[in-house]
Amino acid sequence: MTVLKAELARLAKGMFADPIPAAPSVELTVAPAQVEDAAAILRFASKVGLRVLFWGGGTHQGIGNAVAPDIVMTTHRLDKIVDWQAEDLTIVVEAGVTVSDLEAQLQQRGQTAVLPESPAGATVGGLVAAGLSGWRRLRYGPTRDRILEVVLATGDGRVVRGGGPLVKNVTGYDLPRLATGSLGSLGLIARLCLKLWPLAADRGMVEVADPQMALRTAYRPLAVIETTERSVAYLAGTRAELEAQAARLGGRLVAGHRWPEPLAGPREFVLRVPAGEIGWFVDEMRVNEWAFQAAHGVGEVRLVVDRGDDEQLARLREEAENLGGALVAYSSPEDGVFDPWGAAPESADLQRRVKAAFDPAGVANPGILPGGI
Amino acid sequence: MALVDDLRSTLGSDRVRSHPLELIVYDKDAGVTRGEVLAAALPETTQEVAACVRIAAAHGVPVVARGAGTGLAGGSVPAEPALLIVLTRLNQIWEVDEVARTAWVGAGVLNLDLSRATEHLGLHYAPDPSSQAACTVGGNVATNAGGPHCLAEGTTVAHILGVEFVTSDGDVVLLGGKAPDPPGLDLRAVVVGSEGTLGVVTKVLVKLTENPPAVRTLLLTFDSIQAAAATVSGVIAAGIVPAALEMMDQPMVVAVEGFIKAGLPVEAAAVLLAELVGLEEGAAAEAAVVERIATAAGATSVRVAADESERAVLWKARKNAFGAVAQAAPDYYLHDTVVPRTKLVEVMTQIYEIGERNNIRMLNVFHAGDGNLHPLVAYDRREPGMSEKVRAAAEEMVRISVAAGGSLTGEHGVGLEKRDLMGLVFEDVDLDAQARLRDAFDPNGRMNPGKVLPAGARCFDFDLMAGQDGGSS
Repeated sequence: MTVLKAELARLAKGMFADPIPAAPSVELTVAPAQVEDAAAILRFASKVGLRVLFWGGGTHQGIGNAVAPDIVMTTHRLDKIVDWQAEDLTIVVEAGVTVSDLEAQLQQRGQTAVLPESPAGATVGGLVAAGLSGWRRLRYGPTRDRILEVVLATGDGRVVRGGGPLVKNVTGYDLPRLATGSLGSLGLIARLCLKLWPLAADRGMVEVADPQMALRTAYRPLAVIETTERSVAYLAGTRAELEAQAARLGGRLVAGHRWPEPLAGPREFVLRVPAGEIGWFVDEMRVNEWAFQAAHGVGEVRLVVDRGDDEQLARLREEAENLGGALVAYSSPEDGVFDPWGAAPESADLQRRVKAAFDPAGVANPGILPGGI
Repeated sequence: MALVDDLRSTLGSDRVRSHPLELIVYDKDAGVTRGEVLAAALPETTQEVAACVRIAAAHGVPVVARGAGTGLAGGSVPAEPALLIVLTRLNQIWEVDEVARTAWVGAGVLNLDLSRATEHLGLHYAPDPSSQAACTVGGNVATNAGGPHCLAEGTTVAHILGVEFVTSDGDVVLLGGKAPDPPGLDLRAVVVGSEGTLGVVTKVLVKLTENPPAVRTLLLTFDSIQAAAATVSGVIAAGIVPAALEMMDQPMVVAVEGFIKAGLPVEAAAVLLAELVGLEEGAAAEAAVVERIATAAGATSVRVAADESERAVLWKARKNAFGAVAQAAPDYYLHDTVVPRTKLVEVMTQIYEIGERNNIRMLNVFHAGDGNLHPLVAYDRREPGMSEKVRAAAEEMVRISVAAGGSLTGEHGVGLEKRDLMGLVFEDVDLDAQARLRDAFDPNGRMNPGKVLPAGARCFDFDLMAGQDGGSS
């Protein structure tokens, strides 16, 4: 054991970082500044069977089954914007760049990566690993569709690149989309190329009475969000377009975008169901008096519940799963009453084999995925 | 043959083809290679597809899935003697969900039929390869097909929410689904574009896109490729991502005009076909910006399609470009590479230089907006040394695209054609990772072996021009 520790200390030299207060307590926290360094640690971890937990901004660590790590690997030194090709609408960034920094820079040249709108301290790598999309998904599609290239330090310590820094490319298997939402189960996402969109000339919002009707009357709005208080259609385009959209919706145009404040509570969940089925679930949330934010047309509802609502949650989950959806916990409940994922997917065997192709020793965020994969 | 007997006892004798004369129509795609088909099975259900996969496994025979055979990279051409599973009879549209804007369709449904079937709902299926009247949705999934309107909407993968998938073991699993972001790894995304090397897709859950209330289609004429390319860059830089932005050079315009008679300007060095969609207010404003940028870049004329019929004629001209070339030469070889759109002029200049140096006839029509080049070489393979010359030029074009920061293929796929060029864009470790991923799905290497990834120990004699047929069919 002493020999192993000495070897690990030698490898981690120059990478030592202070323990992260919010992270599980571990003997070793490393902050590699190069993907090769991350790979070296993972190679060793695979050899001796040490579990590694990846850490970005720590804003979404509650997603998935809890990982009991031996090592925490943070991305805060992988913090460079590597190559921004504004005219090609692409940007290459390291995983530890924060979303707010990235979007602020992009905005200066009228562009956006369409990452979630209220990222707090989230990193690009973390949000991509979690597979999270923002509210504008209705118009621009999921984050996954904008990940053009990925560089991974795989669980067994190889540096693997997939995709390419091009807006259109079908060369080889789609590792960028596979890595998106993989929650670190394949290894560390170290670098990404993102597809960008130009920001529209103008932005506006219209409060609507019937969000489903708004989806049909507005032409491709950015989002139609229903909260406990109101339903709002979010629009972008030229001033004339916004006014035309408002006229279609029959509401008053309010300038700018005010996105719903992130919900916070003892237990956070995301419900995902076929977009057309969302109405019933929203009604349930109103009956239960849960705070919620529903993305109409997408089929996603963010919700916060109090402890002691397990029966209603179980019913909601059952209904969602019957429709091919899911109720996923976004804050890991310490009481362990509620499985974070629900039913394992029918492709669980295939998923296990795919993870093993990248992480044969099972050291990269082990067990985090549904079915303990 | 025992394989054929087993297939016949499952499918009936009329849905298993094994006579050499019957197999001639199945041993090639729309490209230039031929392969050896042991038998062609025509299942009508997912369960029959699964049975075919299991029968092939029992006989130790590889499986190649095939749609309409419109591919150009050899993805559905067996690299080694194989059972061909032809999916064209899985042609049912199972469910159209108007509210969620999705549809479950059989892999054999034709791309254009899907858009026609949803037209009355004001919806369409966005990816529109030029072959859309003939190609299947399943084939589109296999290649992650593109098309002119993928500029704003993304290629096929962005429109596939789920697939019913027959694994290499003959099991049936759902990957993806109607709800967003199903828990776990996104295997759906890996299967799309995998060219049948991971398993067989039998049913597809597609996303449907709302038809735009207003469309502006512009035909812009230029006296140089450079001016047209500058317009492309200028439009993107102005913060406009058009629905489509297509370029044709003069040789192609002349060929197309001779075929379609769309009133294209045959004297122009290059034309751009730009389409802006949205609300009337938005489409009109963007069209005005595009016109201004084009004029500033030196456009010699601007024609705005006055109505839907004129628009249809312009698109017919664009989508029949390859048919038009068939009139001009007995064979053609259509390339598909992608470069950063800012490198269009640089790479096009080099491509013309390759054509001139080799004295080959080249025509260009391509998706300029996303840097997806389609140089097309028209030739006659009966001319001594011509096939070799065309082949060498093809590889050179791929190499210069990659050197400019581009890649091997933007929408046709790797198939057989570019398998051995994968090393130009990926390191060994990257290709090894892809091979491991493939093995996770197909540990016995029975699903469309010899495609996408370069052969390691396996040796397949892939000689692009050695086939008995040209590509002009």
